[in-house]
Amino acid sequence: MGHGKSPYLKYADPAPFPILNKHSHYDHLFEEMHELEEKGEILVYRITEENKPVQVYTRTGRIKTIPTAKLWHHKSCGQCGNIPGYPASIFWFMNKFGYDYLNEPHQTSCTAWNYHGSGTSNPVALSAVWLRNMHQAWKTGYYPLIHCGTSFGSYKETREQLIFNKELRDAVKPILKKLGRLTEDGRIVIPQEVVHYSEWVHANRHKIKELYEKEGKAKGIDVSNVRVAIHNACHVWKMMADDYPYDPEVYGGQRPAASTAVVKNLGAQVVDYSTWYDCCGFGFRHILTEREFTRSFALQRKLKVIAEEVKADLIVTHDTGCTTTFEKNQWIGKAHGMYNPVAVMSDVMFSALACGAHPFKVVQLYWNCSNYEPLLEKMGITNWKELRKEWEDTVKHIAALEKEGKYDELMEFFKEYDLYEPYSRTSDGFKRRRSATADMPLFKS
Amino acid sequence: MEGHPYGYNIPISEKTKSVPWEEKVRVIEEVKSDFRYEEFLFGCLNCGVCTASCPSNRFFDYSPREIVQRFLEEDIEVLYDMMHEYIWACSQCFTCWIRCPFVNNPGGLVIIMREVAVRNAFEATKDLLKPYGRVLLKVMSTGNQLSADMLQPDFFPDWGPKMLDNMENVRAKRMAVPFDVGKAVKTAWEVSLETAVEMYHIWRETGIFEMLEKLDPNLYNVIMDIVEENEERWEELMEEEEEE
Repeated sequence: MGHGKSPYLKYADPAPFPILNKHSHYDHLFEEMHELEEKGEILVYRITEENKPVQVYTRTGRIKTIPTAKLWHHKSCGQCGNIPGYPASIFWFMNKFGYDYLNEPHQTSCTAWNYHGSGTSNPVALSAVWLRNMHQAWKTGYYPLIHCGTSFGSYKETREQLIFNKELRDAVKPILKKLGRLTEDGRIVIPQEVVHYSEWVHANRHKIKELYEKEGKAKGIDVSNVRVAIHNACHVWKMMADDYPYDPEVYGGQRPAASTAVVKNLGAQVVDYSTWYDCCGFGFRHILTEREFTRSFALQRKLKVIAEEVKADLIVTHDTGCTTTFEKNQWIGKAHGMYNPVAVMSDVMFSALACGAHPFKVVQLYWNCSNYEPLLEKMGITNWKELRKEWEDTVKHIAALEKEGKYDELMEFFKEYDLYEPYSRTSDGFKRRRSATADMPLFKS
Repeated sequence: MEGHPYGYNIPISEKTKSVPWEEKVRVIEEVKSDFRYEEFLFGCLNCGVCTASCPSNRFFDYSPREIVQRFLEEDIEVLYDMMHEYIWACSQCFTCWIRCPFVNNPGGLVIIMREVAVRNAFEATKDLLKPYGRVLLKVMSTGNQLSADMLQPDFFPDWGPKMLDNMENVRAKRMAVPFDVGKAVKTAWEVSLETAVEMYHIWRETGIFEMLEKLDPNLYNVIMDIVEENEERWEELMEEEEEE
């Protein structure tokens, strides 16, 4: 076990809230990490002042450092593929706050959704994928921010396994060496903290409130009457449970703080319900190939309970799978007399709407299957039909330019587009012909 | 009464009964030899809090307490039988882990068992993962698990009428996503060729391709075609760039 002198292991004194697990096994990994770095085996990718760090507490009272600027976006396949307004809302806030960041194509997913769903991977492969992505972030000088809850949980778990198991480090090192993914002196790059985007939102909750007061309210938006049920994602707070924010302001530090804190900060009404602890029913493989389980669980244990106990206007989530499960599995409830329509979106999407982001161009509610329209009305976004028309016209315009082969004009159009974030922000001036997946005429030469 | 006297009430399958004892021992030893096994299992009060809070337990004949108990009792017959279908009910939410007073991780034990089941290419596992092939193809060849083109309304009629609307003119809609790497249709974001090639190397070195070949040879062949094509493209590009 570590020697107790880690610069990464600090506790709040006095403890900010009653703590049950003061001597966490998990927290010792920070001591062990320091020891491995001193031995020259790993390089700890540190959070520096350039990252504008904010400190939060974890469940054990440990002080966790959350970088807020100069971030490398580790995107989520479920979010980008199915809920594009989710990452778009994160980028929108980053642009609003003037934070530097990098969003590049040199990233794979964590591949852990697949592992938990099908078992077709192993700890060495998962470690190699994680460390490759972390090395890429380190190479660019931008600190990794993990968008997906499963990536976050899996990476925390993988880090613990790597730190405490020499055999795993020995197995993964030759693979990374062959890929050129070790430091010049042959060390593995491991980040000081594994950071989820919801922690970033939590760390920025006061800035988000300021933006809401300044810009959201100026547009007539008011969230004070919105009743919000919070659903925390299992892989975010139950996997490696000692590494996620808790705060005395949220249920006296006895429940996860992120998401709840930002919703409270915005002045919306957080409503409590009896099955807050339950998962959503996603199940990794189940959502795709055993959907009767997913929908039964979501309908009976969450959506029905939330409707009957607290009549929420909105369920706020902080992960890909939960958002999808809740928004996609409502309509089918009609077949069972169990239709309880409610808006569903992530904390950052709701925050962006509150701060005045375009519901369709930025928050991309177009892809959302839940009943979000009454929520928009209640928030004071009463012109949502016009905004939707604006978005539909945009799509038509893009389709027409594409059909006519007017790619230069298309590029010009995007330059003017609301908070467009182009390829120029990559670490190496990405060449489009180097794409493994290019399937868009935009990228035809 | 058929089944286990302590609560595993599923009759042991004839197939499990017909497997030689030594083979069953070998498979369970493969699970127990995983370095994570000892980090996931410490002891058990039989309190049942894991099962009481388990989502899968509400709809399937599945109990995380049973998993823990069978390992502690070294019940080879039941464990081997569980590895065919029983373990696939787990939702991998890890509620059992956070609730357990012993900090056991039944969901973690299940993932080791699943991995061993895939590695040994059990017939039940092959059948169970057949509908999952589309996902495996995507994740193994692109590094993305999900993409816009996978969410076709025909596959998801239960997601309602908004889903139909969502997928109309999907290409143009994806083009209007306000960040460049998110404009892809066949992947969640655009993945660079060098990144995909690095990932293929990881799959090869860690035995994942081998695992797939045993699980589904046809799917494996399709994946390998894409992999080889991308690897060739990458090599050609490197040569071209060197010449330039």
